[in-house]
Amino acid sequence: MKKIEAVIQPHKLEDVKEALKNIGIDGMTISEVRGHGRQKGHKEIYRGMEYQVDLLPKIKIEMVLAEARAEEAIRTILSSARTGKIGDGKIFVFDVAEAIRIRNEDRGEAAL
Amino acid sequence: MNPEAVLVPRAPENVRPALAARTAAVAAILRRKWPKLGGAALAAVGGFGRAELFPHSDIDLLLIAASEEEVRRLKEPWSEFLQSLWDLGLRPSHAVHTAAECAADHDGNLELIISLLDRRFLLGDPAIFAGLDHRFEAFLTKRRAAIARRLIDATEARHAKYQNTIYHLEPDLKNTPGALRDLQTIRWLSRLHPQDEAPELSAPFEMLASLRCRLHEMAGRDRNILHFEAQEALSSNPAALMRDYYRQARIVERALARAIEAVPPKETALLGRFYEWRSRLSTSQYTVQRDRVWMRNPAAVDFGVFEFVARHRLCLSSAAIDRLAGAAPQARWEDWKRLLSLPYPAAGLRAMQQAGVLASLIPEWRFIDCLVVRDFYHRYTVDEHSIVAIASLESIADRRFAALLSEIPDPQLIRFALLLHDIGKGSGHDHVEASRRLAREILLRLGAPEEDRSAIEFLVAHHLDLSAVMTSRDLHDAATAKEVAARVQTIERLKQLTLLTYADISAVNAEALTPWRREQLWQVYLLASAELTSGLYSDRIHAAEADPALASFLEGLPVRYLRTHTHAEIQAHFDLARQLESRPTAIEITHHEKIYRLTLLARDQPGLFASVSGAIAAFGLSIVRAEAFSNAHGIVVDTFTFSDPHRALELNPSEFDRLRRTVRRVVEGRETAEQLLRGRPKPSRSGRLKPSVNLNDAASERATLIEILAEDRPGLLYDLARALSAAGCNIEVVLIDTEAHKAHDVFYVTRDGRKLDAAAAARIRESLLEAAL
Repeated sequence: MKKIEAVIQPHKLEDVKEALKNIGIDGMTISEVRGHGRQKGHKEIYRGMEYQVDLLPKIKIEMVLAEARAEEAIRTILSSARTGKIGDGKIFVFDVAEAIRIRNEDRGEAAL
Repeated sequence: MNPEAVLVPRAPENVRPALAARTAAVAAILRRKWPKLGGAALAAVGGFGRAELFPHSDIDLLLIAASEEEVRRLKEPWSEFLQSLWDLGLRPSHAVHTAAECAADHDGNLELIISLLDRRFLLGDPAIFAGLDHRFEAFLTKRRAAIARRLIDATEARHAKYQNTIYHLEPDLKNTPGALRDLQTIRWLSRLHPQDEAPELSAPFEMLASLRCRLHEMAGRDRNILHFEAQEALSSNPAALMRDYYRQARIVERALARAIEAVPPKETALLGRFYEWRSRLSTSQYTVQRDRVWMRNPAAVDFGVFEFVARHRLCLSSAAIDRLAGAAPQARWEDWKRLLSLPYPAAGLRAMQQAGVLASLIPEWRFIDCLVVRDFYHRYTVDEHSIVAIASLESIADRRFAALLSEIPDPQLIRFALLLHDIGKGSGHDHVEASRRLAREILLRLGAPEEDRSAIEFLVAHHLDLSAVMTSRDLHDAATAKEVAARVQTIERLKQLTLLTYADISAVNAEALTPWRREQLWQVYLLASAELTSGLYSDRIHAAEADPALASFLEGLPVRYLRTHTHAEIQAHFDLARQLESRPTAIEITHHEKIYRLTLLARDQPGLFASVSGAIAAFGLSIVRAEAFSNAHGIVVDTFTFSDPHRALELNPSEFDRLRRTVRRVVEGRETAEQLLRGRPKPSRSGRLKPSVNLNDAASERATLIEILAEDRPGLLYDLARALSAAGCNIEVVLIDTEAHKAHDVFYVTRDGRKLDAAAAARIRESLLEAAL
């Protein structure tokens, strides 16, 4: 099993969710996060004061999938989240040791 | 007979007999199982004592022992008795006490005392019960005030846990304000401190009790929260069900407030002194006691009482609410505007809501009265949401937004827009358009002037725009900024809409405006503000008007000019421009209440803006707002809005003419501002705000944008403009705004027809900083 974590632009959330739904992935966890990449955010000038905005609002999507589905999900996220500009985000992939459904203790891929 | 089998009635009127029947059934079981313990009495207390047993609630029992030794002796048979009840599926809550313990008043036994208020003899030795009865009554007589106060404290603590509002979308029928516990509290307080008029509470009781019965039946246990699923299961029209619920909860809330008021308070010395100090707010019309307002007899029963409440953040006493109930106070636009500009308008609106006056002043309010919005996020009913939104602007924690609010000269307009922004929600159609339409009708009816009307209509019509941008647009795309700028059109509207959005989101629920969302909203504001400021210079009027002479006048003026002046004003300026054919300047001075406006049309020349600012300052006048634009034909349109702190113009009407003549002479070069200002006292500086100067090369293609933030003082504008002229800069566009001692000045300058080079920019920055001090 693989866990996929994607940090994306907030306004892309609906597109990504829709695209994932279309390939049959409904289960995911979404959080509002803030951060930046190499660009370290950007400078804002307001009222003569320059201040660094380096905690930009982003959205993080997490999901755990059967290994066989992971590649398809990654491709889907890539195409639906991309704008081609700086700040598009990143995808990380992890191995998952175990998954358990709380209601009835299903384990492994049956729990996904 | 299995107690669970008592049928739950569908009709609320039958709920009391049903509860009594269950009580009797349980009592019969207890009688059967009772081991006939001597030296003790079994009493029903709490809900059981009241004969209000719900299908799955606990059965409150008290075993009264004659003495401490008896308590020890009774332990085992008592446990066996309870065990037999548990085996039957009943849930007795139990306590064993001596009579002495029951008649003591100490921390931690408030529950026991309260439960004893409803005591009833069941089984065992009647003499022991009578002994308790006697002692407890004596205890009550002595300590009734203290017990009442403790009960009030506990109630207020419980209310605080529920945010002090009755408007919960999924209320806990026992504990939420306005529900069953409050009802019981009213009864207990009335027992301890009888009031003149016993409140009529059978309707709320029947509704709440029957809902609770049915919840117990559906869940099979003691569940009291009216979840959305339960609402749907209980009624084919859950929205109507909840509306009824809130209306009953309001009755309970009011009756509780009355019952609490009847109890004499014991305040600590400190609290007492606070209330005494606050009662100095009393006037000839209103008495203030314990932060509540009573209306004295000569008081006119009118809008003024709400202004009083809004000024000092008080609340109405029940007596005042009663007096207002019959009256139908009137209010015109000026009254509303005044109310909404006071420090605590939400308190005034709540008072209006409590007195039922809000719905009579604005009949459309009834559409959203107690209206439930059925979605995951909205915590409040629509009417409550609107008032909470207005309250959220009273204390803004985020410094940036708080600063923005302080820059708005007429926040009353935002507040009125918040009051009406969702008023179209009950209509079943797109609520934004419905709200806008209703707002327009209401404003026309109140007699609001056109500028206020168009501002509020705009805000209502666009109240969702910024949140839509926040969630679904790329904030780093230049097109987004342009689109927002095009929608709001001016910086003033942008600021108002930003704060309206801030308030609207804050009032969805207590956590809705997360730091994350605040950041996004601020980003949207920044981007649009930058776009509008640069647009000041670059967006010029090109379109042809019907009248070619007028078209020629407008050509080349910034688009902002069209957006911030009415047709009448533009026509007046055009007429002034025509005067320029025969004379070098055309000046008009108008005034409205304490604010004056000087409009100057002339041919552009170096140092013009600085000179005129100086001339105005020389009269002791304080420039609050200013704009300087020039059109494609070299005609400048300068508008100065100023106040008259020394009352020079107010006290001497001839000063108008003198001002006009002086400005004319200065423009025509027959006098200089320097000469006029000679001999004027140097202004004192409090130095609170460090001046800042920011030069922006990228804002426009042909000019340099200079933004100055400084502490406002008389002659500031003249000093800044003169520094720019002295450095050889031509001032092309100016936008000045002052609010609360902060001056925010935006200049677009060129030098030799081009942007400033780096060296010049640095020099000018220095001289401006110096001039600003």
